[in-house]
Amino acid sequence: MSKNSLADLSLKMGRRTFLKLATIGASFGATSAFASSDSVRAATQEEIKNPFPGSKRVKTICSICSAGCGIVAEVHNGVWVRQDVAQDHPISEGSHCCKGIDQIDLVKSKQRIKHPMKKENGKWLRISWDQAIKEISEKMLKIRKENGPDASMFLGSAKFSLQEAFYFRKFAALWGTNNIDHVARI
Amino acid sequence: MANTWGYGAMTNHFGDVVENSKAIFMIGANSAVANPIGMKHFLQAKDRNNAKLIVIDPVYTKSAAKADHYLRIRTGTDVAFIYGLLHIIFKNGWEDEKFIESRVYGMEDIKAEAKKWTPEVTADVTGIPAEQIIQVATILAKTKPTTVVWALGITQHSTGTSNTRILPILQLVLGNMGKKGGGCNIIRGHDNVQGSTDMCCLADSLPGYYGLSDGSWKHFAQGWGVDYEWLKKRFYAKKWMNEKGFSLAKWWQGVLQEEKTYSSSPIRALWVQGTGITSMSQQVEIQKALNKLDLLVIAEPFVNEAAVLSDREDNIYILPVATQFENEGSVTATNRTSQWRTKVVDPLYESKTDHDVMFEFAKKFGFYDEFTRGMKMGIKDGEIKQVKNDFNFAEDASDEIARIVKTIGLGGWTAKRLKAHQENWHMFDPLTLKGRGAMKGEYYGLPWPSWDDKHPGSPILYDVDTPVNEGGMGFRNRFGLEHDGVSQLAEDSVTVKGSSIKGGYPEITSANIEKVLGIKLTDDEKQKIGKNWKTDYSGIIQEKCRIAGVAPYGNAKARVKVWTFPDPVPIHREPIHSPRTDLVKKHPTYGDQTNNFRVDVRFSSEQNAQDWAKDFPTMLVTMRVVNLSGAGMLERTSKYLSHITPEMFANIHPDLALNYGIRDGEDMWLHSPQGTKIKVKAHYNFSVTPDRISLPYNFAGVMQGVDLSHKYPEGTKPYATGESSNTITNYGFDIITQIPEFNAGLCRIEKA
Repeated sequence: MSKNSLADLSLKMGRRTFLKLATIGASFGATSAFASSDSVRAATQEEIKNPFPGSKRVKTICSICSAGCGIVAEVHNGVWVRQDVAQDHPISEGSHCCKGIDQIDLVKSKQRIKHPMKKENGKWLRISWDQAIKEISEKMLKIRKENGPDASMFLGSAKFSLQEAFYFRKFAALWGTNNIDHVARI
Repeated sequence: MANTWGYGAMTNHFGDVVENSKAIFMIGANSAVANPIGMKHFLQAKDRNNAKLIVIDPVYTKSAAKADHYLRIRTGTDVAFIYGLLHIIFKNGWEDEKFIESRVYGMEDIKAEAKKWTPEVTADVTGIPAEQIIQVATILAKTKPTTVVWALGITQHSTGTSNTRILPILQLVLGNMGKKGGGCNIIRGHDNVQGSTDMCCLADSLPGYYGLSDGSWKHFAQGWGVDYEWLKKRFYAKKWMNEKGFSLAKWWQGVLQEEKTYSSSPIRALWVQGTGITSMSQQVEIQKALNKLDLLVIAEPFVNEAAVLSDREDNIYILPVATQFENEGSVTATNRTSQWRTKVVDPLYESKTDHDVMFEFAKKFGFYDEFTRGMKMGIKDGEIKQVKNDFNFAEDASDEIARIVKTIGLGGWTAKRLKAHQENWHMFDPLTLKGRGAMKGEYYGLPWPSWDDKHPGSPILYDVDTPVNEGGMGFRNRFGLEHDGVSQLAEDSVTVKGSSIKGGYPEITSANIEKVLGIKLTDDEKQKIGKNWKTDYSGIIQEKCRIAGVAPYGNAKARVKVWTFPDPVPIHREPIHSPRTDLVKKHPTYGDQTNNFRVDVRFSSEQNAQDWAKDFPTMLVTMRVVNLSGAGMLERTSKYLSHITPEMFANIHPDLALNYGIRDGEDMWLHSPQGTKIKVKAHYNFSVTPDRISLPYNFAGVMQGVDLSHKYPEGTKPYATGESSNTITNYGFDIITQIPEFNAGLCRIEKA
């Protein structure tokens, strides 16, 4: 299976299916094709221009500080593969700080939280969203019933989008409390 | 700021500094590391216009290294320093008399206070040599326009409110407000601090700084499409709807109740969605509170160290939340510009977006319909009503905000316009933010106020030489029509260009619109018009204002006297833990405070509890490093960023270190007045003098010498952990905002 046909396939398939097939291809190659002398084939003209054929460039905004720098994210089959500076952005004009240029790694960091968890008897346990939502909401509602809405404190974020910040304020209001804050105070 | 001229936000923008500023007065900000692309603009101003960069900081920062003039100030003496400058300015008649006369109220009181601050007195209090104070005052007087830049070094003090008032006062005296190249450029921290603050994820207000009055709640109930009576019943009692809640600074007293609290209930559950808990002061108290809670819910992309700090064995939940790159919505830059953040990839792993987390729980809490109804509303025939049955989150929420939030002029921020600006960012001029081609006539990101969907945004606040419909305006009429018999409106000489009204005018209401604008409303308009410009869903007030070239919020004077504050004009007060015990008597802090954000706060009783300077002789200054931000939760999970500062440290002058027998790179204990301590590496460094040390505030994961690594869920521990500086930042809170004192404290050093 040539690299090109794999790439073509990847466009038609979902990312996960593609990766599975790619693994099969690789193990097959290791025992047969790679043993022969043509293990390095010529790159196509298209690949020389772009190693990720069919990728798209998404314009977006850095999430570190308030300067508001532009970012160009290159996405290939649903994976953020490269980050570029935005030369034509009116605030950053192609410049970036060391934090901003690392946004691609932030998203893909190994330390991301992968699934809901709870601590039980001092141990972290993996749980499902359904279980998390059920247990948390039951406990929140029990506390609300016993002590009223002011028994809860909501801390929001300066990393929310504007729309989410508005909705978080509404969330606390509809819960029935003004115990809500975020880092503007610090 | 908002109490001076109406809005508390950066007044100009970075491109404007590059193009127009002749001097940059940076105080309590270190843009070179906190905000490097902001700093790039300041350096461009130096290169292109020979703009002078003046940096005032207790530490010789990386920004100071680029300065033409560096003034090393003692922490917590900013008000005294500015009065020292004003003293010289007034003495020489360098103030902008015409500007003050026509656009400012209450300046005599400032003049009287400034009289006391001779260069010698100021030098003694601030530690800045008198000659330098005179030199900088002269530069400010002779170099127009100067822009003033500040950040958290000014706000994070027990005198934070006075600090943020005295700098606008300086700019008013110099006549630098509402001018290109002038203004007060406060630089925000996180990407959307401005936006989240504008949306008031705050204990004392509804979105748009509407406050918590009945009128505000009714305005929001209407905009959200919910019944006001139902909303009222959601609260423990109506009284609590109008009362400020607990703040981020002192919520833990709601749990611990060691200081007196005033709420309908102690706090039993804490819901943390995107706040780095170790960026708050009093970490030991916070740890105690986390342990005492009944429930801790954390929703984050990375482990919030609240989960690690706590000793609790049960009832902590961690929910995976997507980063903003797996999400969509807008973000407000420090200059009030809004940018649409396009989704890059789908949420990774089992992450949900922040709003989806809220939606899931709103369903369980029984208010999902009410929660989401605002997105289905619209204006039809001048009335707000439900116009559809479904919604699309970020777009419809944007339009909902645009309908409701009139105070800061978000009427123009529809999803459609924000997206068009982002897609066409190449069409805007970096220096002026002016659009070209298809974007002609608009400013990039529609910096608020953008009064309605035809308004281009306002790149420079309070600029009366630009028509309202092109982004101009006077100061906001926010503090009544008169005080002590003096009109609060701008003088006749201050006419906003192109306005049909000569001179000042009040904020527009249904009662005064006909008289002020000289128009007649039809019977239909009279029936539909809202009470005032802030609550008028009909859009009639805004429409009439646009035709008249009038800002709906009025054209008033700025005030330098806030008659409702404990200090009507700012005065110098020594830090609560002051290194100058001899000055405490002369410049004492406030009396102890009863019930601010539902809790008492100690001021004078803490300041006078003992001779702090004797037992804790070294000044403690927190600082930023270029590779980390906030609590460091994000960057410490990056291999290469954490590698730059792999462990917690403090910058210490060798002369000070050697007094304690501490060698470069050795461990030392730092003890706080609260009896807490941290163990950090001593880094010999000449950015600090021997009377002070500086330490980054972005670490966590070690608490008073105890490594908490084992408490991170498997695979989530960041590459770099360390003691949090906030374990030893001193007790102290601003008397108005309750922002903690992070920057003017004391400590005692001990070899580890």
